[in-house]
Amino acid sequence: MNALASVVFVALVLLVATYLVAVIDATIMIRVSRGRGYTGVWMDPIARAARLMMQRGSRTERPDLQVWFLAPALLAGLGAVALASIPVAAAVHVADNGAGIVLFGAAMLQVMVAVFLHGWAANSVFPMLGAFRMAAAGMSMSIPFSLALITTALPAESLSVGAIIVSQEGLWNVVRQPLGLPVYLITALAFSFWGPMQLPDAADLAGGTTAEISGVALLVWRVARIGVLVALSAMGAAAFLGGYLGPVLPGWLWMMVKTAGLATVMVWSGHHFARMRIESVVFLGWTLLLPIALVDVFLSGALTL
Amino acid sequence: MSGVIDLLFWAFGASAVVTGWLVFRTDSMVRAAYWLMASFVAVGGILVLLDAQFLGLILILMMAGEMTIMAIFMVMFMMNPAGLNPMTMVHQHRASIISGAGAFIVLALVALFANFLAEPVPTGAEPTVDLGVELLGGSMLVFETAGVALLAVMIGAVALVSQQGRFGDAEAGSLEPSLETEGP
Repeated sequence: MNALASVVFVALVLLVATYLVAVIDATIMIRVSRGRGYTGVWMDPIARAARLMMQRGSRTERPDLQVWFLAPALLAGLGAVALASIPVAAAVHVADNGAGIVLFGAAMLQVMVAVFLHGWAANSVFPMLGAFRMAAAGMSMSIPFSLALITTALPAESLSVGAIIVSQEGLWNVVRQPLGLPVYLITALAFSFWGPMQLPDAADLAGGTTAEISGVALLVWRVARIGVLVALSAMGAAAFLGGYLGPVLPGWLWMMVKTAGLATVMVWSGHHFARMRIESVVFLGWTLLLPIALVDVFLSGALTL
Repeated sequence: MSGVIDLLFWAFGASAVVTGWLVFRTDSMVRAAYWLMASFVAVGGILVLLDAQFLGLILILMMAGEMTIMAIFMVMFMMNPAGLNPMTMVHQHRASIISGAGAFIVLALVALFANFLAEPVPTGAEPTVDLGVELLGGSMLVFETAGVALLAVMIGAVALVSQQGRFGDAEAGSLEPSLETEGP
């Protein structure tokens, strides 16, 4: 794909998908409670964005300004890089050459850096506590996350996401590797800091890393966070649910349906489960998900042989 | 296309050097750690240009975790309150200058006089497959020995630092001490 077209393509897909996730979020929200000034499911994300764009930005005492401004942009860029590694239809991809799944993993690990720096740069207590939470959650979840993901490369005998999708022609990985998708989804919650694992930006820290920002900076941060969720859902669909494979409907539509399905599961979890404590997240990662992910690797490896 | 690749190479090379220099120019431990990560990310980019996608990307992946751990450990072990105050990142000037200059001279001599291979990667080569065969084939003993040794060091380090838990000795568990005072 031509370079400029690729950039425009990823940006457009991310923009549309981000909007759709915000609509899903609002749809669930309306069932939970109808807020004041509510303008309907499809208008609500735009109304919220407009409200944020009219807010003035806030400032703390001696922040690390460059890092503070760049962290939301870094998070948005990482969502785009991660999404670029995933084929949206047969042979339609931007950056899935040879080691696409490693590119995706690298982008997700850098998400931890973006969130950590975002919290650190504000030079304020609550954002910094949020930053340390992200480091703890990211560290604990990164190994099970990578293991669950890399296991899908075993039947494909390739690190390319396209090859992983093709290898699921007969049987989706969600059936072939039943331990993979649950581990992936739980760890994905930590990397998109969403739902029960929304710890760095949690309400109990008065917003955590977002406690000191407002206006456009907050808008970019929230949009970027949804972008990361979209990329994680798309990778879940590609690695475990057969990506664009499916009968009757065109491939890109299957990809969209599966991605939206996984995104809905993750957004739904945020409205129905209590937020975990950071200690529980660390404990869950090291003592439960890591052994399960190792069993997943060994079983799938043995089956592949 | 090769013009773009040349341009990218020089951009990555320049940012690797400049961000490496900035590690020592900043006054913040967290910034120093992440400037070092930026330098490694640029090196990872060069590796990707060299058609070693797996090595380049895994470098970027690993550095995210490693530099975060390094930043947090530096902050934890500093007397400086929470590592938040500005502080100089350089010390032992004389030894640093001598070893830095020495390393530069050695590397420059290698760059000038070593007989580098000038073979382009053959088309159709699969660097990731070759790497896997090398890691679990010819060099398996070396890598597995190094891997087990590193694991032993990590477990040893954890055992050494976890002598004291939050409520006393590490092996005492994590039960809170009683509110009743003991003894007279």
